[in-house]
Amino acid sequence: MTLLSKRNINFAAQITNCLIMKNHTTCFLKRLALILLVSSTISTATAQYYSGDHTFDGEHKNELSGSLTTGNNIITGPAIGNTWHYKHYFNSHWSVDGGLNTQYTKQLYGIKGKGEYHLKIRSFHMFASAEYMFNHYHMFNTNENIGNMSVRFERGYWDITLGGSLIGYNMMGDHYTEPLTLTFGAHATLRPRTHHWNVGLLFRNYDDFYYENWNINWGLDFYWRLKPQWKLFGEFNVRPAGSMSQLASKYETTGKVGVIYRWR
Amino acid sequence: MKKQTTYILIISALLAASVMFTSCEKVSPQGVLIGNTSVDDRVKQSLVNFSAFEVAWDKSLPDTVLEYSFIVGSDSHITNDPGRLEEMLNIGIDSGDLFFCHLGDLADTKAEYYSNTEMVIRNATEKWMDKNLVPYTKENGDVYIDTLLYEDPYTGNLYYKNNYFIFPSALPFYPVVGNHDITHNGWALYSRLFKTSFYEFTVKVGGKYDRFIFLDSANGTLGKYQIDEIENGFFQRDKKDIRNTFVFTHTNIFRPSLNEFASTYCREEMYYILDKLADWNTTIMFYGHVHAWDERDFGNVHHITMPSMNFVDHPNGGDDLLVRITVTGDHEYKMDKVGLHSKERSKTELEALGYYVTTK
Repeated sequence: MTLLSKRNINFAAQITNCLIMKNHTTCFLKRLALILLVSSTISTATAQYYSGDHTFDGEHKNELSGSLTTGNNIITGPAIGNTWHYKHYFNSHWSVDGGLNTQYTKQLYGIKGKGEYHLKIRSFHMFASAEYMFNHYHMFNTNENIGNMSVRFERGYWDITLGGSLIGYNMMGDHYTEPLTLTFGAHATLRPRTHHWNVGLLFRNYDDFYYENWNINWGLDFYWRLKPQWKLFGEFNVRPAGSMSQLASKYETTGKVGVIYRWR
Repeated sequence: MKKQTTYILIISALLAASVMFTSCEKVSPQGVLIGNTSVDDRVKQSLVNFSAFEVAWDKSLPDTVLEYSFIVGSDSHITNDPGRLEEMLNIGIDSGDLFFCHLGDLADTKAEYYSNTEMVIRNATEKWMDKNLVPYTKENGDVYIDTLLYEDPYTGNLYYKNNYFIFPSALPFYPVVGNHDITHNGWALYSRLFKTSFYEFTVKVGGKYDRFIFLDSANGTLGKYQIDEIENGFFQRDKKDIRNTFVFTHTNIFRPSLNEFASTYCREEMYYILDKLADWNTTIMFYGHVHAWDERDFGNVHHITMPSMNFVDHPNGGDDLLVRITVTGDHEYKMDKVGLHSKERSKTELEALGYYVTTK
């Protein structure tokens, strides 16, 4: 039904024009969008989406999201789970976000809470956040506590996140807190944030329920606003092992598809 | 003006990048950014080589000997002068250590540097064989005398004394592969000498066994194939009366301080390894990679991250660049730090000794 909407027919017509008018810059971008969309559609067989940072699209509305996660990693092989988030806005500046994560094959269970302050600085949107996350890795009888403070800068087509994490874990009666770990994220999108669909390219050392050390994930994400209240989203994420000269082996390929409901 | 500044910055960056890459003989950024082999491939190749060469490194000590020692070094990053590895092996052979372990990043990846490494190994093999091998006199209960044939008293392996094979070498030198050993097709150079990155051996002492496990973490992961092998019981094949387990790998788990790189294992894999070490009832786990000392007890295992032993980090050497572990009993050992103090030799000296000297 959605695929036959007028908007999509127009988009398909534009893409067709693009394929004929090969030299036009806008058309090039749209062709690229088509390729990325097709790629992400294929990859959503194992797709994942990072839903923690719902990008600001001009309105502060409370949101609830649910998603299915699937993937494959070197320890457990195929993995499947689900993630839930609720984001509540107190006003145009302050919001809180709570999340739950269950990954059955990995026997990994997580909860988190995040407070965020939003400030518009000229053409930037700045989001300063503080987050606490708890993960229980049942297979290894390990409890992990993470505290993170980050600042995210958003503009129309990109955002950058910088921050730091303190990660501690308990195992067999012993505890270790790692020295402060850098948090880094970069994300660029094909369309402006207010657009009804988007595809993005991401590099970052974190996801919804983990903060990595020196390993930089990369992947594609997308969303499609189906109705004013409903948004489909997805992500394909490669979690490498190692960094720099170690990068020949991957640790995990994961994916997520889900929906976000926004109160109007 | 702003545009001009931007253009100047872009041109400067491009020029800097050009100078950086053209001043290096290996211009492919792939070697800098990405290791050329995956850990899965290396482990598969290691297992094939290990069985093909019929490697027998299990050792047995005489009934009267109840303790022994081994030394461990890390990150030698050998270039023109392999002096620090030479010094480590000389110390070990002269002191009567049973064997010598290296935690990876053995040599930087150039054929010449591996040739220099090979020379050191050959020289040390000759020295070790001269000191330790005994004439072989018996075969199948009969008196048998071959003046050229000698026996390793610990493994029972037979050698002709003038054959200094690199692999399987008579020299009890046991390295693991590091990330610098796999860039720029380095595994081809490394594996020519050492053939394997995933292996084990045991030492029989007082009727029990100490187990030594060597894991390939050069890519910052053990990889699926290695983990599958571990889970399928690779190290439990002939489960004997294990007294101690010592594990060696390159990539660290614990971070010595804020100034050093964090561990590059993904989080779950880190917990998997820590859990597995506890399963194995590990006595000590050794790591390298970050070129800094760290020592701690975690999960009933003693974890030691070793400093580097190379000339760049320690031009004047240091008193704590190696450790010697003297194993005295069940989870009982003595640890001593051992110094390396040799200085980097001149080009003329190195060439006179037959080493290859190239522009670094």
